[in-house]
Amino acid sequence: MIPPIDASMLVHIIEIVIGGLLVGIGVHFVPVGGAPAAMAQATGVGTGTVQLAAGSGLTGLLSAGLMMNYTDSIFLVVISGAVGAMIMIDATMIVGNWVYIYGVGAPLASAKANYDPITKDSQAPYVAPGTVGQGIPTVCFVSGTIGGLLGGAGGSLIYYVLLKINGDPGLSAFFAIGIFVVNAVIASYNIQGTIEGFHDPKFKRVPRAFQVCLVASLIIAIFAVLISGGH
Amino acid sequence: MDMVSMGLLAAMGALATVAGASEDLESDVGSQSNPNSQVQLAAQVGHPHRIYNKAISGEPPSNALYAALAAVTASVLMSGYGMNAFFAIAIGAVVAAIFNGIFSVTAYMGRNTSQARFNQYVYLDVLRTHTTAIMAHAYITAFCVVSISYIMTAPWLPIQHPFPFPLVALIWGLAIGAIGSSTGDVHYGGEREFQNYIFGAGLNAANSGDIVTKAEAGLRSSIDNVWFCARFGGPVTGMAFGLTVFLDNWRTTIFDPATQGWYAVLTGIVIVILFIVYNRILEIRARKRYGPYPEYKGDIEA
Repeated sequence: MIPPIDASMLVHIIEIVIGGLLVGIGVHFVPVGGAPAAMAQATGVGTGTVQLAAGSGLTGLLSAGLMMNYTDSIFLVVISGAVGAMIMIDATMIVGNWVYIYGVGAPLASAKANYDPITKDSQAPYVAPGTVGQGIPTVCFVSGTIGGLLGGAGGSLIYYVLLKINGDPGLSAFFAIGIFVVNAVIASYNIQGTIEGFHDPKFKRVPRAFQVCLVASLIIAIFAVLISGGH
Repeated sequence: MDMVSMGLLAAMGALATVAGASEDLESDVGSQSNPNSQVQLAAQVGHPHRIYNKAISGEPPSNALYAALAAVTASVLMSGYGMNAFFAIAIGAVVAAIFNGIFSVTAYMGRNTSQARFNQYVYLDVLRTHTTAIMAHAYITAFCVVSISYIMTAPWLPIQHPFPFPLVALIWGLAIGAIGSSTGDVHYGGEREFQNYIFGAGLNAANSGDIVTKAEAGLRSSIDNVWFCARFGGPVTGMAFGLTVFLDNWRTTIFDPATQGWYAVLTGIVIVILFIVYNRILEIRARKRYGPYPEYKGDIEA
């Protein structure tokens, strides 16, 4: 039976779409160098976009889920998720930098900017020959933190809305993970492998990801609300 | 905050540290993650090797699978057969290790046979000695991750996370894979695979695939690689995952989320700011210590 469409359902759908867009845009902030970064051959974290974004965003989802046990405030739940994701991605980037500095013996440098937009440090002299930078310099670190914030907030918002609809944490979390991963994968197609953060020329492609994530999130949001709503 | 919660938090941090280390070392013995691209390439550019080659999938999905498998098995044993949690988790981790072993063997055989035209052999002794080491590490990882998840969700313990037990294990499995692939693997890919090149830089793109295939005596195998990575890459990966699990849960342990939720959030924000400041300090120190590369020719105009 097709359920009656009411105003609250539309609001829920819009909230899920906002969550999906936050994830899609947040992934663009995460500095990932893919396989080359794992050989200290490119700036960024040495893993895939979806992998790191999902790792941090879903850690945030755990924090948000725990917080929602105790409170009904949407702000507290969403910000809790965002903070959880930021802590995970920051711990990862710090330790990644330990390995670049102490394990590989290379200073941190970005190859996409001649000067770090935040610290104004010169980058080119510190880029090893034959590589396109290594490690996670300050601008990438800040960008990654913003990526964690947006990803964690987006995932938590989706979870919050779904839990309001059906009251089942397990079901809501599963749908939230699904919507999160769909948007993260779309964004990573847009990124095509590596991105250094908001100073990277590839970051200008965000509007395209915005459009595609909007359509994808809308379709999934309608199904998520209908299916998990128990109709 | 009570003593039981703090004790459990400490246990979770310790388990996470062990899990992180063993996860990274598992991927180093098996050569699973991004550095495996070079192992894959090596035979094609004329360097056949005795290094294990199992790129089953990215580390996060594969570890999420193992953790969820172990947690589902443990959950069934506990609820269906009334088994003690400790033994149920141990048996669950065995199941995860067996799955890991099956994937590893098929991946190794498949990848190396497909490179037969490049004179890459399937070494049965490598298969026999390495697969057990991989499974042992996978067992430790799965056991620790599932134990953390159990502590977070068990109805008789104080945290009582609302998510189902296997789902929490899946999320932590994903997180530990993401951390292992981002941190410890750089030590394997950036340093150990290319020890024949000068220390202090990443891999020059021109040298792709030229991995070290000879050991101090004889030919290098992945057991040699894990011996090296266990000195730095593995332990720091453990620290990263331990920090994540500990700091994330510490905030809600010292501040009761029911009444002091905003304090927990503020503490988290302070931690994040401290991380950013510390990263800047690290960056400055590394630049001072190492200096610019000698090959660099003149500064570029802004």
